[in-house]
Amino acid sequence: MNKPVKFALVDCNNFYASCERVFEPKLEGRPIVVLSNNDGCIIARSNEAKALGIKMGSPYFKVRNLIARNSVAVKSSNYPLYGDMSSRVMKVIGQYSPIQEVYSIDESFIDLAGLPLNLIDHMQSLRVRVKSWTGVPVCIGMGSTKVLAKLANRIAKKYSKFNGVFDIDELPYERYCKLLQSVEVGDLWGIGRQSAKKLNRIGIQTSCDFYQADVGVIETLLGVNGKKIYQELRGKSCIPIELIPPTRQQIVSSRSFGVDLRDFDELNQALTALTRKAVNKLNNHKLAMTTMTVFIYTNPHKKDKPHAYLSKTAGMPIAIEDESQIIPLASQILRLIYKPGYSFNKGGVVLSNLTKNYRQQDLFSINQNSQSQVLARKKSDAIKGVNERFNESIKYASEVGNDRWLPRADFRSNRYTTSWSELLKI
Amino acid sequence: MNTPSHGGARKGAGRKKNSGSFKEETKVIRVPISLVNSLIPTIEVYKSQVKSKVEVFLTKDNPTELSIPIFTSRVQAGFPSPADDHLEDALDLNTHLIHHKEATFFVKAQGDSMLGAGIQQGDILIVDKSLSAKSGKIVIAVVDGEFTVKRLHKYKGNITLKAENPDFEDIKIGGTDELIIWGVVTSVIHQYE
Repeated sequence: MNKPVKFALVDCNNFYASCERVFEPKLEGRPIVVLSNNDGCIIARSNEAKALGIKMGSPYFKVRNLIARNSVAVKSSNYPLYGDMSSRVMKVIGQYSPIQEVYSIDESFIDLAGLPLNLIDHMQSLRVRVKSWTGVPVCIGMGSTKVLAKLANRIAKKYSKFNGVFDIDELPYERYCKLLQSVEVGDLWGIGRQSAKKLNRIGIQTSCDFYQADVGVIETLLGVNGKKIYQELRGKSCIPIELIPPTRQQIVSSRSFGVDLRDFDELNQALTALTRKAVNKLNNHKLAMTTMTVFIYTNPHKKDKPHAYLSKTAGMPIAIEDESQIIPLASQILRLIYKPGYSFNKGGVVLSNLTKNYRQQDLFSINQNSQSQVLARKKSDAIKGVNERFNESIKYASEVGNDRWLPRADFRSNRYTTSWSELLKI
Repeated sequence: MNTPSHGGARKGAGRKKNSGSFKEETKVIRVPISLVNSLIPTIEVYKSQVKSKVEVFLTKDNPTELSIPIFTSRVQAGFPSPADDHLEDALDLNTHLIHHKEATFFVKAQGDSMLGAGIQQGDILIVDKSLSAKSGKIVIAVVDGEFTVKRLHKYKGNITLKAENPDFEDIKIGGTDELIIWGVVTSVIHQYE
């Protein structure tokens, strides 16, 4: 019989690099780095790239020589591909437990309590299946709490003798303490940089120090959340699996531009496109919004040019969800904040005060059925339908232009799984 | 009538004008009870926005327009469709062709080494990565890092990737060759011009 509480954390190994390898097998064994939006910084590395000493977050131009010398494969981030591969991986993981929390694009907690199976075998089978079905390698850590499962995952990744699956509850007490000594307290799940600093200041450096500290001290220092981590580390489960993802507080759509923009029309083009992306997200989540922020920034690193951080927030008296209302609003706000004479390199929109899409709300809401709203909705639905079938062929007039704003993505792989025109060719 | 010399309101007394939650003049109106619940949220949202100093843009819609739904329910009349009891779902190609959605990928065929198996240039192949590669299956294989589509032959420990076109040579997998079976081709989609 299994312990009453048992969690597993399934974590993809170097997820973005692994996705690239599925469709480009000759990259197997070669170092890979993936760049952030606009090809700015390194945001993902394969093990080989880590071994070369390429740091997470380093600006691409700074490591360009190192990359060329070691023939490292460079990829622009391909989120359509990573997103689709992630949802495949998550669905396969979901076959192994009725209770699953998708924690991030490449991590998922599952609850294994009460499964009448040999859990190590069960998890090995999961690992093999995810790899065989999707091509993505994963490692699995198990423990009686989420903090422990996360810790176990580190071990599963680090030591190949465990074959990618490790159960931390099987570790004898002395070995467990030794393990904790080798893990810095800031590396524990749930201990952020600020909390780690506070702990370091009172002499708590390793997880072992943290483990042996007094519960009262931890609670005074870090509050109730810190206490939860402390108790979880001691085997008492305090953080349950979240089955329903928390509702979105806001939707952000922003980009660094491929080139600096000075012209209003060019900025408007960029922001119209970004707003349309945000509205699509809003509609996909069946939400409506009442507050919108538009911002444009100049590049803070260019010391010789004047700086401006311009933004404005506008509210609506009723929640809206329709792109024919939201896009003109974005342009309207942009017109209010725009100042000539600056070179803007970043911009975006934030939709907030999100509410459940009011179409489904009470029968009596105002304006719900006013003629113009019904027409507007029909129009956007028609546009959306056409765009779905014919590859974004209808655009707002303000969105059409020279496309200079588009972020750089010089090394992007194909969208193999989401675009008919970019399928893998064999 | 003389203005009284004392009593009455002091000048400047009381709440300042426009100092309420709305920062503007307000007006008392009569509202039908059935509409009260639907009007309050609008007012509250407006109030919170005024409070948070967020600029309020009015929608282009005429804000005084208010449509009140009429409750209608149709009474069923006439004879129910005799097919009602026998309705079945329409046919869906996805369920017919795809058995493991998470493991299924589409790839495009290039070249005509598999012409004999009905795979033409430009066809879309449906590939299931979850299936085990048995001898005789058409597979997507990776040989030394390169993709190829061929028929898999396993015989007494010898593995051959067979082309189905006499113009192409089979690939015999030797000791040093690295072979990975990427997936099994389950269908071919050939679209006529």
